[in-house]
Amino acid sequence: MIAIERLVKRYGAFTAVDDLSLDVKPGEIHGFLGPNGAGKTTTLRLIAGLLLPTSGRIVVNGHDLAAEPEAAKASLGFIPDRPFIYEKLTAGEFLRFHGGLYGIDGTGITGRVHEMLDLFELRRWENELIESFSHGMKQRLVMSAAFLHRPRAIAVDEPMVGLDPRGARLIKDVFRRMSEHGVAILMSTHTLEVAQEMCHRISIIQKGKIIAAGTVDDVRRMAGDGGDHLTSVFLRLTGGSGLQEIDEIV
Amino acid sequence: MTQPFPFLLLPHIWSSRNRARRRQKGDLLRAGMFGGVGLVVCAALFAGAYWLTTKLAVYEEFGDYLLRLGLSWLFLTFLAFLAFSGVVTALSTFFLSDDLRLLMGAPVAAGRLFMARFTRTVGQASWMVIIFMAPILLGVGIASCAPLVYYFTAVLAVVPFVVIPVAIGAAMTLLLVNVLPARRARDLLMLASLMFAAAIVLTLRFIQPERLMRVENLPDITDFFATLQSPIAPLLPSFWAGEVLFAGLQGAGDLLHGTALWTTALAFTVVLAAADRRWHFAGYSRSQEAPKARVTSLRIVDWLAHALPLSTVRRQLLVKDVKVFLRDVSQWLQLLPLFALVLLYLYNFSALDLERIPYMSGVIKNVYALVNLGMAGFVVATVAVRFVFPAVSAEGAAFWLVRTSPISMRDFLWSKFWTGLVPMVLFVEVLTIVANEFMGVDPFLKVIAAVAVVFMTFAMVGLAVGLGARYPRFGADPNQVAGSYGGVAFMILAVLYIIVMIVLLGWPSAMWLFSRVRNVRLSALREAMMAASFLLAIVLSISTWLVAMRSGVRALDDMNR
Repeated sequence: MIAIERLVKRYGAFTAVDDLSLDVKPGEIHGFLGPNGAGKTTTLRLIAGLLLPTSGRIVVNGHDLAAEPEAAKASLGFIPDRPFIYEKLTAGEFLRFHGGLYGIDGTGITGRVHEMLDLFELRRWENELIESFSHGMKQRLVMSAAFLHRPRAIAVDEPMVGLDPRGARLIKDVFRRMSEHGVAILMSTHTLEVAQEMCHRISIIQKGKIIAAGTVDDVRRMAGDGGDHLTSVFLRLTGGSGLQEIDEIV
Repeated sequence: MTQPFPFLLLPHIWSSRNRARRRQKGDLLRAGMFGGVGLVVCAALFAGAYWLTTKLAVYEEFGDYLLRLGLSWLFLTFLAFLAFSGVVTALSTFFLSDDLRLLMGAPVAAGRLFMARFTRTVGQASWMVIIFMAPILLGVGIASCAPLVYYFTAVLAVVPFVVIPVAIGAAMTLLLVNVLPARRARDLLMLASLMFAAAIVLTLRFIQPERLMRVENLPDITDFFATLQSPIAPLLPSFWAGEVLFAGLQGAGDLLHGTALWTTALAFTVVLAAADRRWHFAGYSRSQEAPKARVTSLRIVDWLAHALPLSTVRRQLLVKDVKVFLRDVSQWLQLLPLFALVLLYLYNFSALDLERIPYMSGVIKNVYALVNLGMAGFVVATVAVRFVFPAVSAEGAAFWLVRTSPISMRDFLWSKFWTGLVPMVLFVEVLTIVANEFMGVDPFLKVIAAVAVVFMTFAMVGLAVGLGARYPRFGADPNQVAGSYGGVAFMILAVLYIIVMIVLLGWPSAMWLFSRVRNVRLSALREAMMAASFLLAIVLSISTWLVAMRSGVRALDDMNR
């Protein structure tokens, strides 16, 4: 559903994404893990069509992003780490506009907007200005917008940041139900417990390259780690914990 | 997306409607003040255009000729402004605007996105020109008793006229964003501002309007206007618009130039749309790339701060403020147009040849010393509202650092005051002294103005810092902070203060000058009243400064309670 072939993104001499290939199948939740600055956000922004790749190919729902950008984007729901929302619109207006961008208009839009607001527990805020929303409410609104047009694939950057336990639970449930309905989800996260709990497969990216991919058990085996927690596997693969000097400094 | 492109403009329309429905504290005051100032300016432009047109009408054919050239020149001036404004606005609307993150990720056809962005660019870049142009054209029309067709012609000519330069500006931005290394948008802005400033000064140098003041040059005035009509002028849209309008004044139509305007505007739009389809995404992608920002260490700031007798806390606050300001190019860049205007202002003083009106020159010169003082005051108020008033708000999300540190709010706010004061005093002092020198103002007034401007700067910087602390808007853009309730309140108080100061200084100065010119001795009572007037100006300045600062410190202290 989301197929990335030999993707490269260079910023001058710096290579942010280096010959990266990835395939997220329909119904799969794919965790995209890596340390800060590894190239996760750049990859997701390339998939969303916000950055021009230096080379490589991105295909969403069978549509090449470079050749058929509109068809590819229409199949995708993108949830960025720092989303833009029109602060002076109400939640309802924002969703109606977002629906219009994806070709949902006329009679169908109001019902769909209400469905999404109900799902993300925002219905009572429909006519309130977004500027008065808390961070968690804004996050849920952005998710409502991303799911509004029934995308076949989702690219989501750090979905759990700033959410309370109830909000996080809600998002996890929504992602699971979406994946049961065949939606492919590519999710970048730092929260390894979330990846462990939700993802069918994970890829660990470092310095723009995928250094390990497979199920959580596959990756654990690759790292030669028998522990229960993904954290130790992650630290082993991405190069040590860096904790040894803390005592000296403290 | 299936809707036509105006759908993409809906969020801005809805946002404006929501803003109007849910007014905040001070919105009406702000709208009243800006609207009032706008109305006064429009009325002045209308009156000026009306007066000039009626005067020119006396000279029949020669007057018509001058009016025709005047219209062409008016449009030429706006043409340059629109092209510059197009560059800057297109940079924001096509490449840096936050909502592009949403729109570029949505399945919106490139052509639709272009049309929506271009419409917004034309609107944003030209609304001010249209607001200024409308009363001028109305004044010309009414003074010429123009038929109704003139007003229709005006609308039909102005629309394509604004599209052409904005399209050129947008094309320039598209080219530069694709050519310059990534994330050099701010450098681009700097380049554009410098070009604009240089263009203003050069245009003035070439035109030399001071020649109009020289009576013996009168026979050459036709030559002077002819120089405005350079060989390339007939190829410019400004000339076409001028011709169309002039024909409209006579009740006729100028199909040739009207068609030229519309076909050029449409052709430029089509060509720009094609170029946008080809290069916009590449440019947008580049504009987001910021792997490494260039950092200048600005060691001289550290060195200077260490040379000053300051406590560690104050020194670090000073170093932080100065470095943050200097590294944010978009901040100090906004000073460049102001500097260009000041240059123009000084240039005008140097060009005025008042000796040719001997019976008036003495009075005018000395009146100008006070006008100059008022102007310097307005410059201080304008710079202060934009750069000093937002000083506390600019701490933004990082203000917790100051609030949780063992720094008193008094130290913090006074550091803001001195950082704003020193460059401001130097700037206006030089401005005042140079302008008065150019004018040949009486030495007594020179001294008064030079001293008064220091007091005025203390008062207005103190007022800006104090009110900025009383009405902070943390996290808002500095431009928004300047236009907030507190910013508008500052401007109103600053203007009132300037007017009172001019009265308090002007009356005793005028008394003294007249007594000297007429060789009349002033009575002791009058001298005492003059001294009291000067003293009152000093007391007013010092109390404005200290009361505002104290109020600001108290507001910051209350924040912690």
